[in-house]
Amino acid sequence: MTPFLNGFIITLLFLSGVYAAAVMERWSVTGHVNWGGPVRSFLLLFAREEIKTRKHDKVFFETAPILFIGVILLTISILPFAPGSVIIDLGTGALFINAALVYVMVALLMMGWAINGVYAMIGGWRAIAQLIAYSMPVVMVLTATVMRAESMFLTDIVESQKGLWNILYQPVGFILFYISALAIAFLPPFDLPTAGGELAGGVWADLTGARKLLFRLGRLTLVFTVSAAVVVLYLGGWMGPWLPDFVWTFLKTLLVAASFFAVGRFMPRIRHDHLLEYNWKYGVPLALYNIFQVGVVLLL
Amino acid sequence: MISVQLILLIIFGLAAIWFGWRVFMTSSMVRSALSLLGSMVAIGILFIIMEAEFLGVLQIMMMGTEMSIMAIFMMMYMMDPGGLGQMDMYHQKNISIAAGVIVTVLIVGAAFATDWGTIATQFPGPHEQNRLLGMEILKRSMMIFETAGVTILTGMIASIAVALSIKNSVEK
Repeated sequence: MTPFLNGFIITLLFLSGVYAAAVMERWSVTGHVNWGGPVRSFLLLFAREEIKTRKHDKVFFETAPILFIGVILLTISILPFAPGSVIIDLGTGALFINAALVYVMVALLMMGWAINGVYAMIGGWRAIAQLIAYSMPVVMVLTATVMRAESMFLTDIVESQKGLWNILYQPVGFILFYISALAIAFLPPFDLPTAGGELAGGVWADLTGARKLLFRLGRLTLVFTVSAAVVVLYLGGWMGPWLPDFVWTFLKTLLVAASFFAVGRFMPRIRHDHLLEYNWKYGVPLALYNIFQVGVVLLL
Repeated sequence: MISVQLILLIIFGLAAIWFGWRVFMTSSMVRSALSLLGSMVAIGILFIIMEAEFLGVLQIMMMGTEMSIMAIFMMMYMMDPGGLGQMDMYHQKNISIAAGVIVTVLIVGAAFATDWGTIATQFPGPHEQNRLLGMEILKRSMMIFETAGVTILTGMIASIAVALSIKNSVEK
């Protein structure tokens, strides 16, 4: 197949994956599978009048949704779906994942602050505490995968898993990255910035219409992106028998995304202080242990 | 010699200066902190344009976290929730203008007085740069980086230890 056709199919698969994530998100909240639901929500939000709060910060109010969705698209563009099917193959790809996802936090902070409402602001500050706490172990476990591949190219990291996938080579790193991915995509049980019950929607509380649509769409893309990152870093990327390589990436990504939503469905929301406590006191030391373990195994 | 690289360099250089100027012209701490973030990101992009990819990505990543932390701390100390306080971002206006002018003259003078040598046309690719950086950190500069690293690690452990709640037995 030509690279162009490959790219087209990958884009289609990606879009359908995001749609499937939207269906699963609804399932994780209501428990019903509704295939038409996301389309209806999309049309509803698209057509709805935009209500703005009084004295909102205009600059941040306009830029935050665009920054949010922009950084997520940047992250997608460096993830390899198949050998040769990566938009930008960065020499510092592994680090760039975290660099881009930090700006998810900046976008949430900007939006929460710009709305000038109580719930949104608390949501924004929560997002900061949560995402900083969880980007620490992310960098450390990424370092461990880079140590094994001896390269920060994400394609090299996938290639390094030829004999044994990283999920078995560095299980501690996988568990930490998986939990951190949930926290970075602020999915339940870590959905504190946008908590439905206690903050009435948090950062999104006062948003309606197109801006909310951009945020919802961005979050679904974010879920699919962090799932793809889990696949690339720990589940052997495109490796698998029989099927074409990008199909394997897609199937694994979909499976990881489904598991994210399943965790969210059956786990209660974690208290904010507990969330930070677990991470700083147990997550960071475990991530350091993971680096140590991988280092020892590599030297043996 | 005008190339795309040079044009981008000028655009993002000007963006960095503009955001830096905005830091002092806003009326709230959060806007100020995020303007500084904009300036730092523009500098990170300058690094990437100048083929120092690792440095650029690192700059963009670190500054995103650092400036957000700065914003939240400023908010905690100054209490200016919605940016409606109309704060001034500068004080001692005359002294600061004088200091600004003197430092600018010094920096521009230093930039013109320095012999920058010839512009490198051959440079290693990003992967090789990362490797060389690793070698540098683990060989010649090991002492410096290890000292800094251990200091930061000590700080991290100390702050976690301070945050631990010590369960005293409550007297009844």
